[in-house]
Amino acid sequence: MYRIGVDVGGTFTDFVMVNTEGGPTAFHKVPSTPDDPSRAIASGIVEMLTLNAVSPEDVGYVGHGTTVATNMVIERRGVPTGLLTTKGFRDVLAIGRQTRPSLFDWSVRKPTELVERHRRVEVDERLDKSGTTLAAPDLAAVEKLVVQLRDSGVKAVAVGFLHSYRNPEHERAVRDLIKRVAPELYVSVSSEVVAEFREYERFSTTVLNAYVGPHTQKYLHRLREKIASSGIKVEPLTFHSNGGLLPVQTVEELPVLTCLSGPAAGVIGSARIGAEIGESEIITFDVGGTSTDVSLITGGRAQFTSSRLVAGHPVRMPMVDIHVIGAGGGSIARLDDAGALKVGPTSAGAMPGPISYLRGGTEVTLTDANIVLGRLNPVALLEGRMKVDRGLAYAAIRSQIADPLGISVEDAAHGVVSIATANMSRAIRSVSIEHGHDLAGFTLFAFGGAGPLHAADVAEECGLNKIVVPQEPGTLCARGVLLSDLSRDYVRTALVRVNGESWAELVALGAELSAAGRAWLATEAIPDAAKELHFTLDARYRGQSHYIPVPLDTLSDGALDAFASSFHRAHADQFGYSLEGRDIEVVNVRLKAVCHVRKGESAAPAQGSSLDAARIETRQVYLGPERGWVHTPIYRRALLPAGVPFEGPAIVEEMSGTTVVLPRQNAEVDGFGNIHITLQR
Amino acid sequence: MTMPNRAAGSIAGFDAIAMEVFANRLLSITETMAINMMRSSFSAQIKERRDFSVGLFDGKGRLVAQGTHIPVHLGSLMGVVEGLLKRYPREEIRPGDAFISNDPYAAGGTHLPDIAVGTPVFQGDELIAFVVNIGHHTDVGGAVPGSTSPTARSIFEEGLRLPVMRVCREGEVDEDLLNLIALNSRLPEERLLDLRVQIATNARGSDAALELVRRMGVDGFKARIHDLLAYTKRRLDLRIAGLAAGAPSRFTAWLDDDGLPDGEMVPLCAAVSVEDGKLVIDLTGSGPEARGAINIAENALRATAYYCVKALLDPELMANSGMMDSIVLRAPEGTIVNPRSPAPVGSRTIACQRLAGAIFGAFQPLVDPDTRIASAYDVLPSFGFSGHRPENGSFYICGETVGGGGGGRCDGDGMDGVHVHVTNSLNLPTEAMENEFPLHVEEYTLVRDSAGCGRWRGGMGIARTVRALHDRTNLEARSDRHKAGAPGAEGGGHGGVGRVTRNPGTGREQALPSKIAQLLIDTGETVRIATPGGGGFGNPAERPVALIATDLLNDIMTEEHARAGYGDALVDQALTLLREGRRKSAA
Repeated sequence: MYRIGVDVGGTFTDFVMVNTEGGPTAFHKVPSTPDDPSRAIASGIVEMLTLNAVSPEDVGYVGHGTTVATNMVIERRGVPTGLLTTKGFRDVLAIGRQTRPSLFDWSVRKPTELVERHRRVEVDERLDKSGTTLAAPDLAAVEKLVVQLRDSGVKAVAVGFLHSYRNPEHERAVRDLIKRVAPELYVSVSSEVVAEFREYERFSTTVLNAYVGPHTQKYLHRLREKIASSGIKVEPLTFHSNGGLLPVQTVEELPVLTCLSGPAAGVIGSARIGAEIGESEIITFDVGGTSTDVSLITGGRAQFTSSRLVAGHPVRMPMVDIHVIGAGGGSIARLDDAGALKVGPTSAGAMPGPISYLRGGTEVTLTDANIVLGRLNPVALLEGRMKVDRGLAYAAIRSQIADPLGISVEDAAHGVVSIATANMSRAIRSVSIEHGHDLAGFTLFAFGGAGPLHAADVAEECGLNKIVVPQEPGTLCARGVLLSDLSRDYVRTALVRVNGESWAELVALGAELSAAGRAWLATEAIPDAAKELHFTLDARYRGQSHYIPVPLDTLSDGALDAFASSFHRAHADQFGYSLEGRDIEVVNVRLKAVCHVRKGESAAPAQGSSLDAARIETRQVYLGPERGWVHTPIYRRALLPAGVPFEGPAIVEEMSGTTVVLPRQNAEVDGFGNIHITLQR
Repeated sequence: MTMPNRAAGSIAGFDAIAMEVFANRLLSITETMAINMMRSSFSAQIKERRDFSVGLFDGKGRLVAQGTHIPVHLGSLMGVVEGLLKRYPREEIRPGDAFISNDPYAAGGTHLPDIAVGTPVFQGDELIAFVVNIGHHTDVGGAVPGSTSPTARSIFEEGLRLPVMRVCREGEVDEDLLNLIALNSRLPEERLLDLRVQIATNARGSDAALELVRRMGVDGFKARIHDLLAYTKRRLDLRIAGLAAGAPSRFTAWLDDDGLPDGEMVPLCAAVSVEDGKLVIDLTGSGPEARGAINIAENALRATAYYCVKALLDPELMANSGMMDSIVLRAPEGTIVNPRSPAPVGSRTIACQRLAGAIFGAFQPLVDPDTRIASAYDVLPSFGFSGHRPENGSFYICGETVGGGGGGRCDGDGMDGVHVHVTNSLNLPTEAMENEFPLHVEEYTLVRDSAGCGRWRGGMGIARTVRALHDRTNLEARSDRHKAGAPGAEGGGHGGVGRVTRNPGTGREQALPSKIAQLLIDTGETVRIATPGGGGFGNPAERPVALIATDLLNDIMTEEHARAGYGDALVDQALTLLREGRRKSAA
C-alpha cells in the first residue's frame, strides 16, 4: 500500500510517497496554485504516481498540510460573518486585551475585527460564573436577529455567550434555532469550538472558525472530487496545528484547527525521525523564504502551546509551540543611514524574490549572499531546473553594501550570513531558555529549503554539538504528514480548587470528554486501528493566573494524589520551585483522542559506492575573512555512501536543499539517509 | 586566492557587521533574563502583565541593552545603576554582591512598588558590566492595599522605602533583609518568591554576559559596546537633524487636578527644540509639586521623555545610553515634573501619560508629516474593587488599568480601546473577574460618541459597568481628563471625556470625580467607568461620506453627534448611502 503526504506552501507544493511494503521514498515538488490549492495537489499526485509507476488504486492514504484557512484570514477572504453575543459585550471582539500591537510604533494598528460592529448583535441572556441562568434567551427575539443578519448578507454566524464553557445550553438553543430558521448559514458555537474561559480568546477563535468555514468546505469539496477523479479510493486527511490528522468532516466543522498546520508537520516529522535514530532532545530549525521556525522536542515529544495569533487574531487551540522569526532566504540585507547592516525582517518573498532568481528582485537577500559566497550553487538550483545569476547578485552586493562600507564583496556577503546566523541563533536560545533547557544536550534538526544551509553556522554560534539533516529537507513537512496519527483535542474549563469533593467533579468532566472522544474515534472516517485517550489537567497554585499542563495516566477516583505530586514536580521542573502546602487549582481538563495509523518504516534510500563517486565538482567557497576562498568538494546527496565519514568544508546538494559542512565539522550519512554533522570543540 | 582584508567601514574604526552580530548576542542576554523573570516569578503582575524590565550596563554604568514591555521603565534601570554608583565607591563593589533599591529620591527609582536588583559582573578583578532588573511588586505596604493611593500626601504613606542596599554579599543572600521587605507587604509570600527570582535572573544574565566576554575578549567586548553606543547616538542625531528647525514648539496638557479631588487644574508644559544638535525638552511652566501622588520623579520623567523620542523619531532605535546622550531634559525643581522628597509619587503614571501627550503634541509640527498623530486619551485610568468575600470572609483586591481611545493619525483612524504611551497592560477578562471576585460585570463596551471627529476619527474609549455582590464593597478609582477631551490635530475635533458614574440609568444616578480614594457601595449598586476617546485628525469636512456612513451603521456615534461634528450635508449624504445599501441588500 502506498501512502502520500502533501504540504502546500506559498511557492511550492511538496509530496512524499512511501510504500508500506518497503522500497525507496519518493519526493516530488510542483509550483503551488494559490487561487485553488487543490489543483496543484491533485496534479502533483498524478505526476508522482506516473513517475513512479504506481497505480492510484494502490494508494491507501493521502494526508495534507494546508494553509488555506490561515491565508483566508491573512488576505481577509472569508465570508461576511455575524456574531450573536451576550447583552453588553458586543465589543469584546474589538477591545481584545486592550493592548496595542507595537509599543513604540504608532503606524502599526490592531487588525480590524472579522465581524463588523453592526453585525455583532446582542442577545438578552446571561449565565453566572457557575453556569446558572440569570436570564434565558428569548428565542422569538433571537429569531428576528438571525433573520436580520441573514438578510444583511451574512453567510456564517458565530455564537459566543459569557460562561458558556460552564453551561452550553443557551448557545445550543440559539444554534438549533439558527439551523432551523436559516439552515443555509454556517454556524460556530463557542462552547463547541473551545470550551475554555476567557471570553475574548474563545469568541475570537469561534468567529475565525465561522469566517473561514464556508470557503474551507468548498475547498475540501474540490479536493475530494479531484482526488477521487484521479482514481484514488481514499478520502484525504488534513493536518491540524496540534500535530495530527483529521478527517474531512471534522475539518468542515472546525477549520480553525488547521491554522498553522504546515510548520507543525515538520516538528512532528522531526520527532518521528529522531525516534528512529535515537535522538530525543531536538531543536527543529526550519528555514524558508521569509521566516525561520524554531521548536523544541524533549523526551521525544514536541512542546505545545494553547494560543497563537493568526494575522493578529487570537486562536485558542492546543498547538505545537513554534517560535517564528522574520529571517529566511528572502530576507533583505540593507545598510541604514547610520551605517549599520540589517538583515530582515523585510523579505523579498517569492516575488520579486532574490536578485539572482531573475524574477525582478533588486534588493540584496540572504540567498544572494549565499550564492555569491558559493555556498549555494551559483549556476542553478532544484537539480538544475532553476537557473540563477551570480553576477547580478555580486554587482548588487558591491554597490549596495560592500562599497559603502569600504569592504570586499565577499566580506559583505559573509557579513550578511553572519548577521542572519546571529539572528536565528537568538531565536534558538530563546526557545530553549523558555523551556528551561541547556542547549548543549540538543541536536539541531535542519530542514526547509534553507535550514541545512545555515545549520552549521548556527550550531557554532549557539554551542550545539550535533546537526541532523533529513533526506530532502525541503519536503520534511510533507513527510511529517506521513508520520502522524489521527487525533483530536477536547477541553473544558473547570476552575476548581482541588480536594476530594471537586476531584469527583473533575472525574465527571473527564467522563464527558471521554464520551465525546470515543464518539469521534468511532466515526466512519476514522480507520480501524489502535485508539487511545490521554488526559491532561491544566493546573496552578492558588493565587497564580498562569497554569501548566500536567499529563495524567488516568482521570479516575483514586488518582488525586498522583496528580498532586505530578503537579508539584512539573512546577519545580518548569519554574525551579514548588509550594507543597499550597492549594492547587485545576483550570482546564483536556483530552486527546488518538488513532494510531500504520506508517511503515523509513526505507534506506539508494546508496552510492564511495565519496569520490558522490563528488560532482569542487567549488570555490568563501568561508569568512580568516579562511578566505577554499576549494570545497560538492557532493550529490543521493550518491553519498552510508556510514562513510567526511570532513568539512563540504557541501551536499539535493533537489530540495543544500547542506553546508564547515571546517572542523564531520559528516556522515546514516542508514535512513539522514546526514549527521558533529562539531569538534 | 588572496586573503581578503576587512577594511574599515566608511566610518573610521566602526565594524558594521561585528556590531550587528554583537547586538543580537546582547539581545540574547536580555531575552534570557526576561524569559527567566517571566517563567519563574509568582505574581501575575510580573508573570502575566510583564510589569518588569531587564538591562545590561557596561562597567562604567552606561546602559547597553534593555528588554522591556513597559516604556515607563525605560529610564528607571539607568536610575538604579546611577544610584548604586553614587552610594558605593567602585572599590566597595565586589564579586558576588547584588544590590536592591526602590526609592525615587534616594535610589533612582520611580515609585516604591518597582523594586530593582542590580548585580555587578566581574571578569577576574575587573568590573566589566552590571545586570539589572526591575519588577513591579503588587504590595510594598503603605496606607492602602496595592501601595498606590492617589491621595497619599507623602511618600511615607506609600510603603517601604529602600535606599541602595546589599541584598547579596559574596554570593550569600541576605535573608534578614528579604524578611524585612516581606513583612512590610500585605502579600509576603509573593515578595519572597519574586525577589529571589530577581536575584536569580541577574545571576543568569551575569553568566551569559561572562560567556560573551570569554568569547570576544574584554577588549572586543568593550570595542563593540563603544560601536553600539556610538551607532545609536549617530542614528538618533540623524533623526534630530531631520526635525524642522526654528523656535521651540510648545504644547500644554492640563491635568484635571493635582491628584486630590478639590485641586485646581495643573498644566504640563512641553517645549521642544534643537540646540547645538541636541534635542531639548523643556518643561518649564509646568505646575507646582502636586499634593496628591501624581508627581513625576526624575527617572519617571526620563522614561516618559525617552519613550516619546523613540516613538516619534525612530521606534526601532535601541534603548541605550547612546540614545540618551543626545536628549536634554529641563525640569525646574519643586514642580510636578521634578518633585522634592517627600512628595508622593505612587500614581505617577497618570501624569506621565498626560506628559507624554504634551511632548507628543509639542513634537507634531517638527516631525515628518507622514507620521503625525492627534492626542490620545493619554490617561491611565485604574479602578480597584476590594472587600471581604461573603462566602469565607477572605480579603480580595480586583484591579485593572483601562484602555481608551488612540489619537487619529494622518493615515487612519485612531485605535479603539487600547493602552497608550508608557503602558500596555492586559485587561481582566470578564469571565476571570467574575470567577475570582464577588463582582458582576453588566457591560464591557466601547463608548459611543467618544471618538473625536476628523478626516480620520479618534479611537473610542472603553466603559465597564460593575455591580457589587456584597455590601461594603470598596471602590478606589483614579483617572483624568474628566474636564476636557483629547484635542484633535490639524482641524480634528476633540475626543469625549472620561466619566465615572454610580448607579447609572437609575433614579440614584450620581456622577463621581476622577479620583476616588474610598467609596463603599452596597449589594446591587453599580459603577460605570468610562474612559476618554482620542482626538480626531484633520478637517472633519474631508472625511469620506462612506466612512461617516460606516460609523453611523456601526453606532460609533449618534446621528446628533455626527451632525455636530461633520455637518448636516455630509451626514445627510451618509444616511442616504445607508438607506440605499439597505434597499440593495433587501432586494
